Amino acid sequence: MEYASSANTAQAIVEAESLSRRYGEGEAAVDALSDVTVGFPASRFAAIMGPSGSGKSTLMHILAGLDRPSSGTVRLGDVELGGLDDKRLTDLRRDRIGFIFQTFNLLPVLNAEENILLPLSIAGRKPDREWFERLIETVGITDRLSHRPAELSGGQQQRVAVARALVSRPDVVFADEPTGNLDSKASNDVLELLRGAVDDFNQTVVMVTHDAHAASFADRLLVLADGRITHDSPSVSSDEALDLMKSIG
Amino acid sequence: MARLVLRGFLQRKLRVALTAIAIALGVALMAGTYILTDTINQSFAGIFKTAAKGDSVVVSPSEALGSRTQTETSPITEQMLARVRSTPGVAQAAGGIFTEGTFLDTKRKRLTSGHSPGFISAVVPPRFESFKPVKGHLPSQANEVAIDEATAERKDVKIGQQIIVAGRAAARQYTVVGVIKFASGESFGGAGVALLTLSEAQRVVGEPGRFDQIDVAAAPGVSDEQLRAHIRAVLPRTVDVRTGTQQAEKNTSNLEENLSFLRTFLLVFAYIALVVGAFIIFNTFSITIAQRTREFALLRMLGASRRQIMQTVIGEGLLLGVLGAVLGLFAGIGLAPALDQLFKLFGADIPDNGTVLETRTIVVSLAIGIVVTVLAGLPSALRATRVPPIAAMREGVEIPPRQALTRGRYAVPILMALIAIRLIVAIANHEGTGTIVIIAAIGVLIAAVRLRQRARGRNYRVVPFLARVIGVLVTWRGITGVLARENTIRQPGRTMVTAAALTIGIALVAFISVFAAGVKSTINQTVSRSFAGNLIVENSQNSEEHGIPTGVAQAVAKVPGVARVTPFAFAIGRVKGTSSNAVLTAVEPSTFASVYRIEWASGSSETTLSSLNDGTVVVKKAFAKSNHIAVGQTISVLTPTTKTVSLRVVGIVKESFGLLQDLTITRTLADSSFGLREDALDFVSYAPGASNAQVQPAVDRLLDAQFPQARSRTSDQFRKEKSEQINSVLALIYVLLALSVIVSLFGIVNTLILSIYERTRELGMMRAIGTSRRQVRQMIRYESVITALIGGVFGLVIGLVAAIIVAVWPLSGSGYLLTIPVGTLIVLLVIAAIAGLLAAQLPARRAAKLNVLDALAAD
Repeated sequence: MEYASSANTAQAIVEAESLSRRYGEGEAAVDALSDVTVGFPASRFAAIMGPSGSGKSTLMHILAGLDRPSSGTVRLGDVELGGLDDKRLTDLRRDRIGFIFQTFNLLPVLNAEENILLPLSIAGRKPDREWFERLIETVGITDRLSHRPAELSGGQQQRVAVARALVSRPDVVFADEPTGNLDSKASNDVLELLRGAVDDFNQTVVMVTHDAHAASFADRLLVLADGRITHDSPSVSSDEALDLMKSIG
Repeated sequence: MARLVLRGFLQRKLRVALTAIAIALGVALMAGTYILTDTINQSFAGIFKTAAKGDSVVVSPSEALGSRTQTETSPITEQMLARVRSTPGVAQAAGGIFTEGTFLDTKRKRLTSGHSPGFISAVVPPRFESFKPVKGHLPSQANEVAIDEATAERKDVKIGQQIIVAGRAAARQYTVVGVIKFASGESFGGAGVALLTLSEAQRVVGEPGRFDQIDVAAAPGVSDEQLRAHIRAVLPRTVDVRTGTQQAEKNTSNLEENLSFLRTFLLVFAYIALVVGAFIIFNTFSITIAQRTREFALLRMLGASRRQIMQTVIGEGLLLGVLGAVLGLFAGIGLAPALDQLFKLFGADIPDNGTVLETRTIVVSLAIGIVVTVLAGLPSALRATRVPPIAAMREGVEIPPRQALTRGRYAVPILMALIAIRLIVAIANHEGTGTIVIIAAIGVLIAAVRLRQRARGRNYRVVPFLARVIGVLVTWRGITGVLARENTIRQPGRTMVTAAALTIGIALVAFISVFAAGVKSTINQTVSRSFAGNLIVENSQNSEEHGIPTGVAQAVAKVPGVARVTPFAFAIGRVKGTSSNAVLTAVEPSTFASVYRIEWASGSSETTLSSLNDGTVVVKKAFAKSNHIAVGQTISVLTPTTKTVSLRVVGIVKESFGLLQDLTITRTLADSSFGLREDALDFVSYAPGASNAQVQPAVDRLLDAQFPQARSRTSDQFRKEKSEQINSVLALIYVLLALSVIVSLFGIVNTLILSIYERTRELGMMRAIGTSRRQVRQMIRYESVITALIGGVFGLVIGLVAAIIVAVWPLSGSGYLLTIPVGTLIVLLVIAAIAGLLAAQLPARRAAKLNVLDALAAD
């Protein structure tokens, strides 16, 4: 499998160096990120936690090419993001990055299948049917393909969103609070899927979450506070993660 | 609450501006129309006042059958002038001439522009003279002429130069001896004046020994009114006698009456634009009210009453209305000269001295703009009051539908029918503009509410169906096309009402183009079916008011190769027992049938027509039917010269769009009893063996030399010319309807911007997962094109159906040929699509510019 090769190399697929991000100017300026250096190896599941305003979302947005740092560099594979114009950055997001959002963000006018295939449609590419079949089987929505989002439960919608993020076999999937709008059963389903994507498909997943239970599914736990990484370790149980969060306040 | 309205307003500047423009354009056309027509009225009033300056009393032909036409000979004779002169209290009296003619340079080029008239006038004694020389002097010899300053400047006519003045006699060349100007300095617009000596003027206009009017000055101590009474007593009823002031007033009011057509014509387009604007305001309000559900719910939770919510929304409507109306009024002041230029472009250069802004214009424009806007916002204001306070806490709470409107199935159609009837009554009774617009606005509003409601219903499939069919045009482009199509189907009601605004304009254009195509092909068919001659001689300033001298027929008859010339003329008269004027055709009974094929209902060309004499008449079938006239009966006809003639009906013709009008009489009777002094057309047939290549140039040479105001036309040329005339009227109507289409574009822009606002997060997601800005723009453009084409297709269908209904119902049996200009209709759809693209520019750019992160965070 083509993913095997990237899994073997321990080299980071996404790498950030000395990232800072400042919002506003003068006295009202806020530093959302201060000198963050971090790498994410391929075929690993990383969770980023931190209280509100800790900078975790900003970090993810910059890593995904949705925002630009005030200083520092981001590299995805062999590409330096800072050197890309808006057009190239858009193409990069389309071809090499997958997104999962808290609010699912499916297009209400498209059915489940069309939503899953949307990144390929945007790129004007034909889907790999075999991969698509495998995906929908894995996320368990084979019998829901012709339904529109309004006809699906929240859990089903997020599973469609996971399939959408994986359909183009991106280098990395960024998940922003993927379980924030789900009940515990649906949350577990989605987290299992992400875990499976890493284990079975050798995907790389970076997840931002508030939820210690969600973080316990990852291989690695990063904690951010006040724009800096305060903790970086292999994953821990959800209770330990909770304690960790409490300690930062 | 008032502050809330203002704040909200300032936060939505773009939307407010777009919506205000939607109403402002209609108001602008309305204000512009009033300003233009008031200006023209005032200009003419000034001209007439100056013209009657030295006159205590004016004698003019009476208008027994309404306003006098150019084709009639004046009843004022030398004897009448002599009688006036011998009336006690008259200090001085003089006969004058003022009749339309044609001025040309020696190369036969017209000196007046477009359709503007040239007037032939005669020098009168100084106290009556309205013209004064700017250069040179007034003519004193028969071969001298003075020409007005504007014409002289326009065509660079110099003193000493030769020009041709043609009226109803053979044309002559005159030496320009003076350049004149109207005493009070007013401009005549595009019209020109050529001043000749009295006897020469009388000869040229074909009225030797007659005058168009007599100017009378009172002796000291005699009042105008006394003098008028004295003169009235000695003159016959064929003339009117007025004081100078009365005459100026009479002329002004005549003109205003004529001009009221222009005003109504333009106002119709303003009403249409206002109706379209009302649609847009309604739609914008209903979209924004839905978007602001939360805001209203919060206000309700904080204790605002339903009444206060309603006041907020109505307050917004009022503010918007004031803004739009004021904007429109100012735009109207700028538009009035533009309208004037537009008419100039189409050949009508009307005098307009200064800009007349009457209080009425301001009041009516502001009032209508405001009332229409507030009315259009009313349904949304009512809807806003039904927002439940709980909506502030929960997402996706729907505003409960109102019972009354959805319950009664037939209530709305019946209401609409009543409003339609009321509207027809209002128009028929010439009720005020305000009343008409407000009734129409209420009707449109109910229709719009209904449309949105129906479109919300589950069984409403028209918009999705059309969107799918039209969507084929864009879906092949991939996902952007598919999404564009789906987005138009998302809220069919919104798409429908947005499209409906465009539908109005497109439907009218389609209707008019189909109708005009029918008229053109009917004329074509009539000419080719009825005209059996070789040439038609007509005035080169082609219009119904301009005839040709009676001498043309005799002169052309002498051209080698010409076998026969038969003159043909129109007159008016009133059949006793009827209330309106009948149009008469005057023919040469012995020759007419040889150039014109007549379909007879009773009679024949060989017997009936050739034996037509001054005591008999042929009646058109439609006229005979509606006035219960049968063959053998004798009818009395009142002529413009106040005579009454008795005519025995000898035949009935089935003519519909042809030349023959209500009654057909002999040319000699028209001369003797109807005061006819010129012909409308001459029909020429060639001798056997004569070829057009030889004869037409010979005829043209003759006309050039003696009657330069006339020209010859083969039937093909004649048909083409008629088509061109119709096309130029069509072009003017299209230009004016374009305004409504432009208004509806603002509606599309507005709806798109509001829809994009609702879909901010979706757009954010799409951009995040790699949709390029170009693709976003493309998607919005396609959505706009589909919406515009839905409006276009509806418009086309409605216009076409209306034109067919008119053809098969009111015009059935009239010989009207229904013709569908497929090419024009396709072009119309293409224009709708282009309009959609144009409307999408701004929204598409806005959507593409959205910041991805902000968009994702939007709620």
